[in-house]
Amino acid sequence: MSTNSLNYEGCNFLRQRLILATLSGRTVKIKKIRSKEDDPGLKDFEASFIRLLDTLTNGSKIVVSETGTNLLYQPGILIGGNFEHECNPQRSIGYFLEAIIALAPFTKKPIKAILRGVTNDQIDPTVDLIRLTTLPTLKKFLGTDEGVDIKINKRGAAPDGGGEVLFTCPCRQKLRPIQFIDPGKIKRIRGIAWAARVSPAVTNRMVDSARSILNKFLTDIYIYTDHVKGSQSGKSPGFGLTLVAETTNGAFLGAERSSSARGSGDQPSVPEDLGKETAKNLLEEIYRGGCVDSTNQSTTALFMALGQQDVSKILIGELTPYTIQFLRHVQDFFQLMFKVDPVPVTEEEEELNTGGEKLLLTCVGVGYSNVSKAIL
Amino acid sequence: MEDKEHKPYRPRAAGIKARKKKAKIETDDKEELTPKQRNPKAFAIQSIRKTEKTVRRTLDLNVKKQHIPLVDRTPIEPPPIVVAIVGPPKVGKTTLLKCLVKNYTRQNLSNVNGPITVVAGKKRRITFIECNNDINCMIDVGKIADLVLLMVDASFGFEMEQFEFLNICQVHGFPRIMGVLTHLDTFQENKQMRKTKKRLKNRFWTEIYQGAKLFYLSGMVYGEYQRMEIHNLCRFISVMKFRPLHWRTTHPYILADRMEDITGGELIRQNGKCDRKVCLYGYVRGTHMKNKQSIHIPGCGDFDINDIQATPDPCPTPDKIKKRSLNEKERMVYAPMAGVGGIVYDKDAVYIDVGGSHSYNLTEDSKPTNELVSNLMDMMNPVDEKMTTSKMSVFSGTQPMTADDTEDISYPLEERVEGSDGRIRRRAVFKDGDELNDDSGHEDGEDDDDDDDDDDEDEDEEDDSEDDVPPVKKSKVSKSNKEEEFAFADSDDDLEDELILKAMKLKKQNDDDDDDDDDDDDDDEDDESDNEDNSDSDTDKNTKKSKLKKSKDKIVNDEEDSSDISQSDDDDDDDDISQSDDDDDDDMNEEDNGDDIEEEEIGQGLRWKSDLVEKAAASFKARQKGKINYRKLIYGEELGVADEEDKDGDELGGLFKVLKQKSDQTKNDRFSINKTDCSKYFPENPQDWSLEEVTASIKDCFITGQWSKDKDAKARLDLDDELYGDFEDLETGEKFTGPDGEKDDDDDGEKDDDGEDDEMKKDDKGEEDKPETERKKTKAEMTANERRTIRKERQKEAFDEQYDLKDDSAYYDSWKSDLDKQAKLNKAEFESMPDELRIQYEGYRPGLYVRIELHDIPCEFVTNFDPTYPVIIGGLQNVEGNVGFVQARFKKHRWYKKILKTRNPVIISLGWRRFQSMPLYSVQDHNFRQRLLKYTPEHLHCHAAFYGPITPQGTGLLAVESVAGREPGFRIAATGVVLELDKSLQIVKKLKLTGFPVKIYKKTAFIKGMFSSALEVAKFEGASLRTVSGLRGQIKKALRTPEGAFRATFEDKILRSDIVFVRTWCPVEVPEFYNPVTTLLLPRDQKKSWVGMRTLAQLRREKGIRLEQKADSIYKPVIRKNKIYKPLVIPRGLKKQLPFKAVPESLLRKKESSMKRVAVIKDKKEKKITNMMSMMQTLYSHKQQQKKIALKQAGEKRKKEIKKDEKKRNQRQKELKKEIFKQIGRSEKKKD
Repeated sequence: MSTNSLNYEGCNFLRQRLILATLSGRTVKIKKIRSKEDDPGLKDFEASFIRLLDTLTNGSKIVVSETGTNLLYQPGILIGGNFEHECNPQRSIGYFLEAIIALAPFTKKPIKAILRGVTNDQIDPTVDLIRLTTLPTLKKFLGTDEGVDIKINKRGAAPDGGGEVLFTCPCRQKLRPIQFIDPGKIKRIRGIAWAARVSPAVTNRMVDSARSILNKFLTDIYIYTDHVKGSQSGKSPGFGLTLVAETTNGAFLGAERSSSARGSGDQPSVPEDLGKETAKNLLEEIYRGGCVDSTNQSTTALFMALGQQDVSKILIGELTPYTIQFLRHVQDFFQLMFKVDPVPVTEEEEELNTGGEKLLLTCVGVGYSNVSKAIL
Repeated sequence: MEDKEHKPYRPRAAGIKARKKKAKIETDDKEELTPKQRNPKAFAIQSIRKTEKTVRRTLDLNVKKQHIPLVDRTPIEPPPIVVAIVGPPKVGKTTLLKCLVKNYTRQNLSNVNGPITVVAGKKRRITFIECNNDINCMIDVGKIADLVLLMVDASFGFEMEQFEFLNICQVHGFPRIMGVLTHLDTFQENKQMRKTKKRLKNRFWTEIYQGAKLFYLSGMVYGEYQRMEIHNLCRFISVMKFRPLHWRTTHPYILADRMEDITGGELIRQNGKCDRKVCLYGYVRGTHMKNKQSIHIPGCGDFDINDIQATPDPCPTPDKIKKRSLNEKERMVYAPMAGVGGIVYDKDAVYIDVGGSHSYNLTEDSKPTNELVSNLMDMMNPVDEKMTTSKMSVFSGTQPMTADDTEDISYPLEERVEGSDGRIRRRAVFKDGDELNDDSGHEDGEDDDDDDDDDDEDEDEEDDSEDDVPPVKKSKVSKSNKEEEFAFADSDDDLEDELILKAMKLKKQNDDDDDDDDDDDDDDEDDESDNEDNSDSDTDKNTKKSKLKKSKDKIVNDEEDSSDISQSDDDDDDDDISQSDDDDDDDMNEEDNGDDIEEEEIGQGLRWKSDLVEKAAASFKARQKGKINYRKLIYGEELGVADEEDKDGDELGGLFKVLKQKSDQTKNDRFSINKTDCSKYFPENPQDWSLEEVTASIKDCFITGQWSKDKDAKARLDLDDELYGDFEDLETGEKFTGPDGEKDDDDDGEKDDDGEDDEMKKDDKGEEDKPETERKKTKAEMTANERRTIRKERQKEAFDEQYDLKDDSAYYDSWKSDLDKQAKLNKAEFESMPDELRIQYEGYRPGLYVRIELHDIPCEFVTNFDPTYPVIIGGLQNVEGNVGFVQARFKKHRWYKKILKTRNPVIISLGWRRFQSMPLYSVQDHNFRQRLLKYTPEHLHCHAAFYGPITPQGTGLLAVESVAGREPGFRIAATGVVLELDKSLQIVKKLKLTGFPVKIYKKTAFIKGMFSSALEVAKFEGASLRTVSGLRGQIKKALRTPEGAFRATFEDKILRSDIVFVRTWCPVEVPEFYNPVTTLLLPRDQKKSWVGMRTLAQLRREKGIRLEQKADSIYKPVIRKNKIYKPLVIPRGLKKQLPFKAVPESLLRKKESSMKRVAVIKDKKEKKITNMMSMMQTLYSHKQQQKKIALKQAGEKRKKEIKKDEKKRNQRQKELKKEIFKQIGRSEKKKD
């Protein structure tokens, strides 16, 4: 009825736009997708993502121009349910999974998705990181632990993938508002050092080097080693480390590194260096601080915006560019503005060394309710 | 009346009764025992079962009472309550409304049109609205009314309209309903009246709830209801409480009380039917209304809000709440459509607001208003002449004007007038002469910017303000001047940019890179917008320039002043523009206008000046700290270049520019349009974590680090010790002190701060010292006893917390308290913010009076505007603007005479909308199959699926078959509730395919005629078949010939005459038909006759076309031939073997029938013989009888003889035995 559609240019933030369009029910037109590049139009992984949206929804209208440089997306109703999706190995499953997580609470049926593709790569948040940091955030909004899970059936490193992940999530009528302004102190650090199709010793080397840095701060560190072999190890060799710091109030800050992909042209990764790098990344993340880490800022902001008409507050570290753009998009789609204030440091806390500047993200939810879920 | 007739009750003063009573009272006084004490047995537990039952029941009742707790979202200053007056015609609605308004404001309304807002009390305002007898109107009013006064003509009784309205209310959330009985004076007899009252009351109660308030208006005095009764009614209204209704708390809505057409006159002249721009005014209700939100106007259609602004409240509650009741000034009435005070009402924009009766009393005050009006009229005439459409606007000096104009020039006076009418009028109030000049100047200026506005006065006004300069400046600067200035600004612009660049570069070195990245993206957007709208950017640059100047050298001159003004304007702009799209120039301009207007309203009295110092200070501070304004960082892009609140922001703006250029070169920007889309953040210049200082900077993020005072366990323990640690042994007088605070602290410091610098330690100590002394004092003041009591209380609390019996309501209570906390947070979060900012974060909160601008409204909305029809602006949530398939639980109303047919169009009221759609009715089978029904069941729920707007589940809906005219009977056809929404639905209907056997083998048969091709058969392989005679079977495989035939097996051999069928389910399409009811667009006389799509039957009836009947479907007498069966034949051999029982009865019967009796006729001789024979027989039998008797006698004789003989023999034997035994005895003796 209301025919106003939103127009954008370029393929950057395609996911954000399509997700928000799906949730808000507004039509989106995207033009000039790589129009001036040698390889114009949508890439395979984007096409794969659009296909994923198509399986997640019912009645969506997706029109891609012949050159692939223009896209029209008229969203339908979120269905969810059981489905399988072949994720394009150009991007890791995290790219797709992040989108699914954003939509999962608002589907008609609880989601049970099997995703196949690259589980760990260097660009996107890996499945491990999502499991360890994003899911706790999601659980806070859902108000339950039940049925929210990611199971890694097979690992698949870049570039060929071959991994398999099972994601389950219940659906909700409404999300609950969140007030999470005190992250507490970090009480433990956990992690996963994984390796596939390489020597099992690699994992231990990574763990040792990471510990060498982190032990100065905290003693409660335990890094699981996950060396997979055979059918579970995917098609390409690789290894990586994911570290998560858990605070006393249940905030999770994560950092990770994966080895450079075979045939990518980068220098081969050394496990010791990678371990150290990851540990430093984690420290960086801790320096930024907040109740969610930089990767999950946008997801948290989305769920805060989609809450009831109540005030939600969360403390975060510095905004990432991705989040900034996300907040702008939220305004486009939901006419919702976030209040972002630097947290004033009280006198008592002034002498504490708690890292960089913290921001308080506040918003009033738009009163979103899940229209696809049936009531009896 | 009736009360007078009662005899007063007089208790007995003497006699037995009196004495008894007296005695009783005395005893009662003596022993005040509770019933439990008096009769303990009655309260003892007699039966466990019974007790258990009662306990359970009380618990059940308790739980039943609980509502699901909701977050309290009522605003601090709520919008006026909507009180709707509803009833059939001639029941006294208008009279009541007039009386109510009179009671509140002491004013007589001449005519009642549209909503009327009055101040009812210190904290309460009421909007009255009269609902006419149109069902469209009733539906709309039912959706927005908080309280309904349901008028009933007592002399007539309830009418259908009332019940219809009750049903409408029920579906849409059930507002409070109060009945009002009128026409009670028509009753001749008292008894009759009492009976009627009782009857009506009971009926009313069954409809609403037991004890619902029913009000009686006994009669009329001089055409009005009795004053006291109205007064009482008002009191009831004022104490009424409302429960939040779900739909309304989740959707913003506005009951428009004023409408203005702001389309350019030229456009209308060119095309009288062009789409209009319309302004609607009203209080925001429900929840927060957002800019650019999509809305629905019931009876008109869906639109997007083009612009929304908060305007000053035209009918505010008194500022200071004193203990007295409202005075005359505060009793305000606001009814733009109703022409309060006897002034003309025009089609699009007019109203008059007469403040209160005081305006009549004070002649001085009334005079200027008249002048004003006349002035305005004079001034407008030329404009009117220009306009082709004749529009007249009139204003009176309003209450605030009269009241406050003398001392307060700026704010209220201007505000009031503006609130009451279009903007021109405001000017007129200020300075008549100036205003005229102003106007003319403006019109000129306007021509450049906007071509559509010159004719329309309202537009002019807007544009005036648009150009963002307050009147002072305007009057100075002529059109040409202005242009020059802009040109100048343009040329200057580069220079200024350079300056900024320099500043930026300096700053950049310090700044983080990522921030810069963000910024520059913003900036390039800005650039674009710059190019787009020159005028806008011009002003912006102006401001920039002025700011720079200001910061560098503080030269103050007139020019500077003016630019400052513009700056302050722009400050406001930031706030508002962020919500606006920058689609095209016009939009931008208009928005600016709006903002400026608002600005002026708020800060007319040179208020911006007072802020300047603070602003400067704030900006300075911000600069000092080097902090980023995150709002600008994120939303700056939309704010445009105009956005400069402080120096810092300015710098950032500049920063964008610099980096933008850089990034353009490098193409390394994260925001560049075709960059990789990735949520992971890679810090571009990570810190060096091998350095000691860097690692120290996050030291306290870990539990091993230092804690803030209030959280540190050690510190808290110490605190406790100080309070409770030391005690005095009272017996010995010995004193035990806790560990000394200071000493201990030192120790702690050493322990904790091992790795820390000495400085830190000192700081700690210094800090902790202070509170230390305070605490000691308090401790010293306390006696030991006090301390002990405190400790005990604490212990008790701790104990209670853990061990107190929490009853079942604990869960409920905690839930409630959580929500209370949330509600408090909601209220507190934005309370201290300035309104413009707050609006951006929250939206326009309920209670604000807003002006909403809508574009592309059909011209009929304006030309056929009728104030008696409520104009509701219903906000839609995100997905609700879309259309899809809605599945609802649906029930035909019991009172509706007909049943509803599938696919017949009905008019559905759902959410805000009224629309026509074609529902399919279905029921859900046990396997969740949705089976199509042809008609709605009589008294059962069914499902209805229709194509309509996506509306959240649980929303009530209502169906009527027609809204046109007044058909006899009850009009509400059905009610229901939305269950599910989707973009496709699976509704199926049963389809039986029949076929005939071609060839029959034993259990196999070839069936033809069911399908038309082998492919079809293949699809149905394995499907179960049935024959009419009840044999079951299965489809096996297609045959080659004939086409569509197949092989099937059955459980037994079927007959050639059997019809074989297969039961299938075939999906049914829901027709995609959605037709909004557009009653507001119809001309006045046709408003009640909206007809959408008609049913086939209606069409036939209207055109007089008879349905052609098929010859097949005509009923004819059925003639059946009697079937003749062959007789049953059993072979002889078999028959012989059959047991008698197994022989069919028919066979047996046949045998019998063959031997028939023959009548014997005897001749004489034979007769004689037979006679003889019978005689002989008789004799013979007699002889035999005699013989028998003789024989018997002989036998008895013989028996006697035998007996005698036996006796003798026995005696003989006895004697003989005696003899023998004697002899034996002798012989034995001998032996012995």
